[in-house]
Amino acid sequence: MSTPTRTGTTVSMTVNGEQVDRHVDPRRTLSDFLRRDCGATGVHLGCEHGVCGACTVLLDGRTARSCCTLAVQAEGADITTVEGMADGAELHPLQEAFWKHHGLQCGFCTPGILLTVQELLADNPDPSDAEIREGISGNICRCTGYQFIVDAVREAAAVLREEKTAEVE
Amino acid sequence: MTQQEVPPGLIGARVRRKEDPRLLTGRAQFVDDVVLPGMLEAAVLRSPHPHARILSIDVSAALELPGVFAVLTGEDVRAACATPQPVVWRMIPDQRMTDQYALAVDKVRYVGQAVAVVAAVDRYVAEDALGLVEVEYEVLQPVVTLDDALAEGAPLLYEEWPDNVSCRQTIPKGDAAAAFAEADVVVTETLSYGRQMGTPLETRGAVMSWDPFTDQLEGWMSTQSPNLTRDLLGEVLGLPVDHIRVRTPHVGGGFGNKFDFYGEEVLAALLSKRTGRPVKVIEDRLESFVANAHSREQRIEVSVAAKSDGTIIGMRGTVWAVLGGQLATVGIGPCWLSMALMAGPYDIPNVEATVVGVVTNRSPYGSYRGWGQPKANFAHERIIDKLAHELGMPPNEVRRRNLIASDKFPYPSQVFFYDSGNYAECLDMAEQAVADRGWAKRRDAAAEEGRSLGIGYSFHIEISALGPSKIMNQAGLQHSSFDEEVVRIDSAGGVTVRTGLSAMGQGIETALAQVAAQTLGVPLDTVKVLHGDTETNPFTGYGTGASRGAALGGGALLRASTRLRDKVLRIAAHILEASAEDLEITDGVVTVKGTPGGPSVTMRQIGDAAYRRLDGKLPDGEDPTLEERDVLDPDNVAFSYGTTAVLAEVDRETGRVELLDYLLAHDCGTVINPMIVDGQIHGGATQGIGGALFEEIVYSPEGQPLTTTFMDYLIPTASEIPTFETLHMATTADHIPGGFKGMGEAGTIGAASAITAAIENAVPDLDLRLNRLPVTPPRLLDALTTATPKDPS
Repeated sequence: MSTPTRTGTTVSMTVNGEQVDRHVDPRRTLSDFLRRDCGATGVHLGCEHGVCGACTVLLDGRTARSCCTLAVQAEGADITTVEGMADGAELHPLQEAFWKHHGLQCGFCTPGILLTVQELLADNPDPSDAEIREGISGNICRCTGYQFIVDAVREAAAVLREEKTAEVE
Repeated sequence: MTQQEVPPGLIGARVRRKEDPRLLTGRAQFVDDVVLPGMLEAAVLRSPHPHARILSIDVSAALELPGVFAVLTGEDVRAACATPQPVVWRMIPDQRMTDQYALAVDKVRYVGQAVAVVAAVDRYVAEDALGLVEVEYEVLQPVVTLDDALAEGAPLLYEEWPDNVSCRQTIPKGDAAAAFAEADVVVTETLSYGRQMGTPLETRGAVMSWDPFTDQLEGWMSTQSPNLTRDLLGEVLGLPVDHIRVRTPHVGGGFGNKFDFYGEEVLAALLSKRTGRPVKVIEDRLESFVANAHSREQRIEVSVAAKSDGTIIGMRGTVWAVLGGQLATVGIGPCWLSMALMAGPYDIPNVEATVVGVVTNRSPYGSYRGWGQPKANFAHERIIDKLAHELGMPPNEVRRRNLIASDKFPYPSQVFFYDSGNYAECLDMAEQAVADRGWAKRRDAAAEEGRSLGIGYSFHIEISALGPSKIMNQAGLQHSSFDEEVVRIDSAGGVTVRTGLSAMGQGIETALAQVAAQTLGVPLDTVKVLHGDTETNPFTGYGTGASRGAALGGGALLRASTRLRDKVLRIAAHILEASAEDLEITDGVVTVKGTPGGPSVTMRQIGDAAYRRLDGKLPDGEDPTLEERDVLDPDNVAFSYGTTAVLAEVDRETGRVELLDYLLAHDCGTVINPMIVDGQIHGGATQGIGGALFEEIVYSPEGQPLTTTFMDYLIPTASEIPTFETLHMATTADHIPGGFKGMGEAGTIGAASAITAAIENAVPDLDLRLNRLPVTPPRLLDALTTATPKDPS
């Protein structure tokens, strides 16, 4: 349900490859916009003050806290949420690695962590364990103790490097 | 009692979790994802004062705001409810109860107490309306700390009480006075455990839909205890339970915070009744820090009487429970357990422990993973360390001298019968692992570089498989503690398990599927586990807490599946014209033992024979369908245990502590999925580390909570957490089918004790005694500065 006001404005953006045009209230957060107006309920709200990282999305390829971003600020942007990661019914190698290594328990923080790691690996395809820990230190996971997340990221990085090499060849 | 042996197979296998693809792709449904036609959203107005009288509330301006549908105040709630908010743990018969409603009536007793609630077209408008509710308060002097509450002439939270003490109970074992009189040495310690909470990353929430024509209430709630919630909703709202359906989508972390029954669920139900529309209430994080149960905070006085060889002959202790402004669902429960388990894993013949529950103007005290046990552990492990120091013995020698011997089980403690264990072996295993990994060499080499590394140990026990119901009732629990599971094979041979347990990240779907698949002899991917709906799923007593799920759910399911397997074999025997005893089931195919490639019948054919084409296949006298249910109300609880070892580095310039290595040797009986067990231990230990070093809910002297964001309440991130290593042994619980013991809380219990011991060990030149948690850098720096240097001789 979108807030009924007379002060609304129209925003246009791409969400997981689909063009979206909606009339929204200026105060509507990007997270509410994605969850409620675009059906991307994989965007999770853990703190709504920009610390926990559960609401992380990719905005023009860089991570953004959608809880602290207004929908109108994303005008013209290309947004990726966790729903945009898998290729059809095939899990992304990162998702696959998290599954194999038990890198999630309740799964609430997982969408934000997956997208954060996607950016991390784009910047640094072969991170050390310390760099992985540093890279996800802006995301709170209250369940796992992080170790199996680190294991998953390490393996996913290797898989993605191989894929890239294969593409080049 | 029989020895429980489970043959190797899916039980014990490191299989991937069934729930993960949903969670990894954003497809899992959490409570805030539930959207119903016409649904309104609620927001709660909370008290800004720790202690005040409500003189008046004016909601007229809020009601006039376009988009607002209803506003409720405390008087509305009291009039609409059959009872106050329930307290289910009533261990102390003469306890003074606080009997409060979901909204404050007359008085507020903590910052964040709910005062009014608005239902509006959405949360934005509902929050706008909160600003239009006018409340006039008469501010009263707050009772902020334990000492404030106990002071002579302290303001009273409940004016009809003589003081701020809600309850007091002492449970003795043996003769502590005689033991202290004849001791060679007595050591005493006063400990402070900081106020902390579970903070699941998904905050609490509910969607409630009350049909005003039929009084049917349908709710979606992020709760660990769906059946208890349904029963308590029935009591509070005066509805028959068959009118109430509780659905629990995926729970985004529980940690005890979502075991308790909160007022917001009641408010959403009443707003729905008032408006005739579904109402959603989702708390934000700031609210969560004041409206969710707080935990842990206690002052503990503990002393032991020992012989000069380190044998402990007596223990005394008092747990001062820093309760909040009203009792939460579990009442004195967690603090009572700290008292009841104060002797921990040690064979102490004479114990006298007391719990005193004191109300203060803080948020209510409720469940958090570990319940009373981290505090009990801190008491017995800190006093063991102090005794060892006093006697000049290594702490683990004092532990070894006093651990309950393996031939003494079942062991009668002050309150419980500990079922089984091999404690000394577990301690040996951890010590050996630490030796193998060269921690002492690392410490000594670092010392030569001027760095301060230390090694610390703790030993913990964990009460699990909470039952039996009648004993728990006698102990004061106003609910049962059994578990019921249902397993069905369908007409095409697929298996469906129905459970009343909630899926909150602990992998219950996978663990139960492993138990059913192995017992029935079918592939894991043919088993589906359904949970999260009281209308269609069986009854679990208590809830998904107290480390019960895998042990009691697994045990009940194992028995049900065994009976179902027997029926499958009888049908197969009829079809194959063989004797059921000669048959086996592998990968969903029944064959005659020792005849590979011989005649066989598939589970699909069995399903067809039991549901569709019965003639000639279903034996005479056998009922159609394939379903079994089982209820496990265990004869006793089951105690898991473990040894934690920590290698820590102390920065003497800043007071910062870095954990370099972390090891846990553990025994939880038969393990269903080692990967899940390790994950639970890692996560629990991380919460324990947070509680030892970082996390504290701080109140100002005026009673204002100062830590209501993740910027102030410091949850460990990946950068603060070490790599964990786990070692396992398996002493089965012989009174639980399968021999399972629970282990969900293990990591939280012994962390602080081992970490404080490691910090002290890192500064051998100082007589440092840490007695307050968390050990934050400023606190440690202060302690290092004021500690007396040890006499070098």
